[in-house]
Amino acid sequence: MKRNVLIIGGGPAGIEASRKIRDFGHTPILIEKESHLGGHLAKWHKLFPDGESTEELLNSLTSDMDGIKWFTDTDIVSINKLKHLYVAICSNGISIQADALLFTTGFSLFPAEKKEEYGYGIYNHVITNADLEDFFNTGEDPRIKDPKVIGFVHCVGSRDEKAGNRQCSKVCCATAIKQACEMKELYPDATVYCFYMDLRMFGRKYEDLYLNAQRKYGILFVRGRVSEVSENIEGRLVVKAEDTLIGKPIRVTMDLLVLMAGMSPNDENREIASMTGVHLGEDGFFMPRDMLFRTTESHSKGIFFAGAATGPKTIPETLNEARAAAMAIDHYFKQEV
Amino acid sequence: MRERFISGFDYFVLPFMIGMIFVILWCIIGLIKIIVQLERADRIKLYKSLVNPVIIAKNFRDLFYDSLLHVKLWKRNKVLGYMHSSIAFGWFMLIVIGHIETFLYIPERGGLFYYPIFFRYFMAVESTTLKGSLLFFLMDFFLLVVLSGIILAIIKRFRSKLMGMRRTTKLTLLDRVGLYSLWAIFPLRLIAEGFTAGVGGGSFLTVPVNWLFASILSKPENFTIAWWAYSIALGTFMMVLPFTRYMHIPAEILLIPLKNAGLRVRRPRKGYALAELYTCPSCGVCLDACPMSVDKAGLKNTTVYYIRQLKRRNQPRALAIADKCLMCGKCSVLCPINISAIDLRLALRKQQPYNIKQDFSYLDKLPNGALTSAISVGGEKVLYYAGCMSSLTPTISQSVQKVLTNADIDFTLMDSQGTVCCGRPLLLSGRTEEAKKLIEKNTRIIKESGVPILLVSCAICYRIFKEDYNLEGVQVMHYTEYFEQLAAEGVIKLRKRELRYVYHDPCELGRGCGIYDAPRNALSRVAELVPATKERKESICCGGSLGSLTLTHEERGRITENSIRNLTANSPDRIVTACPLCMKTFSKQSDIKVVDFAQVIAESLIEEEE
Repeated sequence: MKRNVLIIGGGPAGIEASRKIRDFGHTPILIEKESHLGGHLAKWHKLFPDGESTEELLNSLTSDMDGIKWFTDTDIVSINKLKHLYVAICSNGISIQADALLFTTGFSLFPAEKKEEYGYGIYNHVITNADLEDFFNTGEDPRIKDPKVIGFVHCVGSRDEKAGNRQCSKVCCATAIKQACEMKELYPDATVYCFYMDLRMFGRKYEDLYLNAQRKYGILFVRGRVSEVSENIEGRLVVKAEDTLIGKPIRVTMDLLVLMAGMSPNDENREIASMTGVHLGEDGFFMPRDMLFRTTESHSKGIFFAGAATGPKTIPETLNEARAAAMAIDHYFKQEV
Repeated sequence: MRERFISGFDYFVLPFMIGMIFVILWCIIGLIKIIVQLERADRIKLYKSLVNPVIIAKNFRDLFYDSLLHVKLWKRNKVLGYMHSSIAFGWFMLIVIGHIETFLYIPERGGLFYYPIFFRYFMAVESTTLKGSLLFFLMDFFLLVVLSGIILAIIKRFRSKLMGMRRTTKLTLLDRVGLYSLWAIFPLRLIAEGFTAGVGGGSFLTVPVNWLFASILSKPENFTIAWWAYSIALGTFMMVLPFTRYMHIPAEILLIPLKNAGLRVRRPRKGYALAELYTCPSCGVCLDACPMSVDKAGLKNTTVYYIRQLKRRNQPRALAIADKCLMCGKCSVLCPINISAIDLRLALRKQQPYNIKQDFSYLDKLPNGALTSAISVGGEKVLYYAGCMSSLTPTISQSVQKVLTNADIDFTLMDSQGTVCCGRPLLLSGRTEEAKKLIEKNTRIIKESGVPILLVSCAICYRIFKEDYNLEGVQVMHYTEYFEQLAAEGVIKLRKRELRYVYHDPCELGRGCGIYDAPRNALSRVAELVPATKERKESICCGGSLGSLTLTHEERGRITENSIRNLTANSPDRIVTACPLCMKTFSKQSDIKVVDFAQVIAESLIEEEE
């Protein structure tokens, strides 16, 4: 018997899970609130560790979407449970009956203007990691004008209780180094600084990326948080930080500052949790059944998770989890019969 | 009038006498201890104040208004005011009139403590005179006044909400003994005097009681037992008094001259502080006042319990409470005796060893003029010090500069090339010596700039500049005062918008420096100002205060939530505050946009066309 699975969120996790659910012989229905599939990934240019293009990855993900019903520009208005069935009403008027739900709702980029001391939205040459990827894609950003000195600030809204986010966003260290190298390739004469707390280069080949950044690109790594940014009379940025390795405050004048905005839980998570009874962690991300064995299952029967909805993840982790979730759903259906 | 007993004595007076002598000795020893513990300079100050006629007059006035009439309490809560003044003033009058009676009718017994108290027992009425009736009437009248206060006190103990108090303090065992004996004293006095009224005389209250007893008891002359009970109640009350909250009655009499002499808390439980500790009546007004009491667990960190731990010498608990406090000062303002809650905590913080060797060598490397010389617009009329917090909120410093530019004010940025902290955070954590180094450096920079006005956009900095800097010849102004002045003088022109603002009084600016009206007046020029539920001196701390050393983010979050709820009661469009730390704290949690005062003024400027 064919079962309907409603997948909420059309990022990499949602797309990959839909394909696998279809391969298991069920009917995936994929809902995406934005006007295109791909989530944050679609806005990125290249990916660490090897600099593969996102476009190619997305193309291979979306190349085979036969048998998947998908809707963009669609939000969930309400979800109700009827015995073994979930009924979701969408913002485009359709209502979907599903035997299982899969939340691939992902994350929100931390709003960098919340860290007012870094001056995002206040000073002319402060951008975020997402803005920089957009610049790599379009080649245009009025804030980037042949910079001579560039700074990357790690952990903006990550591991920062004052900003309300205690968790590590996992991908920013590697992203920062990848972007730093890319900038160095674009502007070989520029001096590039990375201000970090720790460098968490945990994945295979990530360390190589780091070593390369130092050896090949000559990127300067400063261990210490940026304390504040101001603008001098010529409109250049004055960045104050502490180099905690030498224990001295430093001050660098820069032409561009890139803030590595971290991953925050979506604001809608709270509402989804109250509609469906799934658990929310203290950090605002969804809580899987456990953190080791059943990471794709929720506390509610027939509801599953994949990707950054349950906390920051890299692309390969997300894709694997999407496949695992598809298997868990298939297993759930077989047990039900 | 004649004496009923030649000896002028009966054994029932003993419990009273023992209690009385004990309490007097205890108070005298305590007084000597406090005076000995005072620092030399403070002691001299105290002695000088005792011969200064102005201070003497003030002492008597304060004693009368505060200790007897409880005027402050009346202003805040009429029922509580009546309750306290009826007991205090009524009791006082009973003692005074008792003495007058004794000295009028039997002056030779005037030296006996107990005689005026048990006057009706020892005396018998022979004939009625107008003077005698008047005195008897007054005695009965004040007894009635006290009894009415006692009835209110009993109601308050069981239904504190009726008296406008949400919470009341948990009493210790001895507090309870004191409380019940206090409740018993006056009903027992009524019964005792009622028994005797047939012999010793009475008035409108005691005489009917006497008739009542006569009609139901066969031998009403067996009244000594009632006098025994009255004396025992008095004796018990006085024996436990030093160990209960009722110690505030004698302690306040001492505290008033100490306070009027200008003494302040220096050590957490010695000298002046000791007088304050004993003057705390444990009334529990601070329970409702404290922002930490949004959590039930936070109640134990309120001032009344801090004082209790200090008295018990429970150092670890006291220190934990002292470190938790937000230092918002709300409890002090609402406290009936205005206890120095912040100073008492600071005194304990200051005593803690500080193991961090801070490196202040950078201060010497900074030339005094260099910080200011970088950006200078025209002549120098205003020196603008943004401070660390405004540097972290660039919108504020930019907005201030925009207003100054619009007003054509010549200003210099004091800290554009590096801020030397004002010192307030160090001071609040008890690190006075370290703070002094910063204060000295900043003082030198300010003085050497030669600018007449120091403009500050941070409430925290403003307070230390006002309180702990010696900046003679320099006018320190908070930007709320300065911009209001500019607007009032027409130097800046502001446009009024169809918006509803609520203004949050930052602790350091409102309760700390008494600035409530300037920001409100200025904001009224640009929008409609709606009130918060609690505001001005009752404003609730935002929760971000750097006063607290140990509050967790979660605890702070709940305080912030409560503070926002208080501000948004009248559904304003925006929350306006005049402290960068409040703004940062609120922005994190508020659904309503939070803006700084400077931002509002800068946005409302009408640009003059030339």
